[in-house]
Amino acid sequence: MTDPLTEPLTPPELAALRARQRSRSLALAWVLVALVVLFFAITLVKMRAERAQVAAMASAPAKDGAQ
Amino acid sequence: MPQLPLSPTVEPASAEWRDFFALTKPRVMTLVIFTGLCGLLAAPGEIHPMLAFTAILCIAVGAGGAAALNMWWEADLDAGMKRTRHRPVPSGRIDRTAARDFGVALSCGSVITMALAIGWLDAGILALSIFYYAWVYTVWLKPRTPQNIVIGGGAGAFPPLIGWIAVTGHVTLMPVLLFLIIFMWTPPHFWALALFVQIDYAKVGIPMMPVVAGERSTRYQILAYAVVLLPLTVLPWWLGLAGPVYGIAAFALGLAFVVLSAQVGLRTSSGDADTMKPEKRLFRYSILYLFALFAVLVVDHAVTSAGA
Repeated sequence: MTDPLTEPLTPPELAALRARQRSRSLALAWVLVALVVLFFAITLVKMRAERAQVAAMASAPAKDGAQ
Repeated sequence: MPQLPLSPTVEPASAEWRDFFALTKPRVMTLVIFTGLCGLLAAPGEIHPMLAFTAILCIAVGAGGAAALNMWWEADLDAGMKRTRHRPVPSGRIDRTAARDFGVALSCGSVITMALAIGWLDAGILALSIFYYAWVYTVWLKPRTPQNIVIGGGAGAFPPLIGWIAVTGHVTLMPVLLFLIIFMWTPPHFWALALFVQIDYAKVGIPMMPVVAGERSTRYQILAYAVVLLPLTVLPWWLGLAGPVYGIAAFALGLAFVVLSAQVGLRTSSGDADTMKPEKRLFRYSILYLFALFAVLVVDHAVTSAGA
């Protein structure tokens, strides 16, 4: 008696399996690319906000001194 | 938990990306994203659009992670219910370990990203919401008490709170009220569903209210929660935290919710031949109700801001 789980796959079954694996790999690749873009954009926004904060703090004592 | 046999029909290694996506319960996620977004848009203050997008993404991914952990833990129960037996794990399309790892990865990834992009308070609340759903509700309460959905409803109530705090950076009364609104909305919403799928829950030994306390008690409780929900939704207007656009709409929407709940609460099922139309109508309306209530909150905020 043969065990269906250890039987070699037929060519159409193997092709279907490869297609599913390819779709999963492609989806993972897209997720990784999206994460790179997301983290890059977050970094830019955070750096800009920090720079604006530093500039505001630097100008604050000057204003205080002028009063 | 009863150990029902899984029915593997496909080799687990052959799972498609769609199967992993299905693990995140996308339909539940739409409500989570929407309420989170409304909390963010209705909050006073400003947030950079990129950070707002990131906050909503983290809320969605965190909810997806919690859902995947829920499906991993409940695979045996899902296999025994008609409504859930075709989910990726019980149908054998995804291996249980893969589902668990996927859930952990999404949960951790969303919390860390939230901490780095928005702040530790928001990340902490997001982590709490994931833990609440995946452990407090799924593992602890659901198999033990018919009050599971009442206390577990808190898990779904976090998104507007997280969205709001992403803007303000601190907890105030209004986001807590939004939390309470979803908390009180969950029991009538879920018990309406439980009334027409109770046979499934009884079969797998989940102590849902209709199974344990009976239909009569569940119907009364649905009505009681709807009656309490109405003044609670109007409270933000009464306290001056929202404008009249929200207040009037919340009252009208809540009144309809009470009427539909009364049709369910005061009726007696006529047995197996009963098509459960009022229950199905209440379940559908409850989803529309929450969408409408939060949409009105955002519109009210826009109107108030424009007038100021």
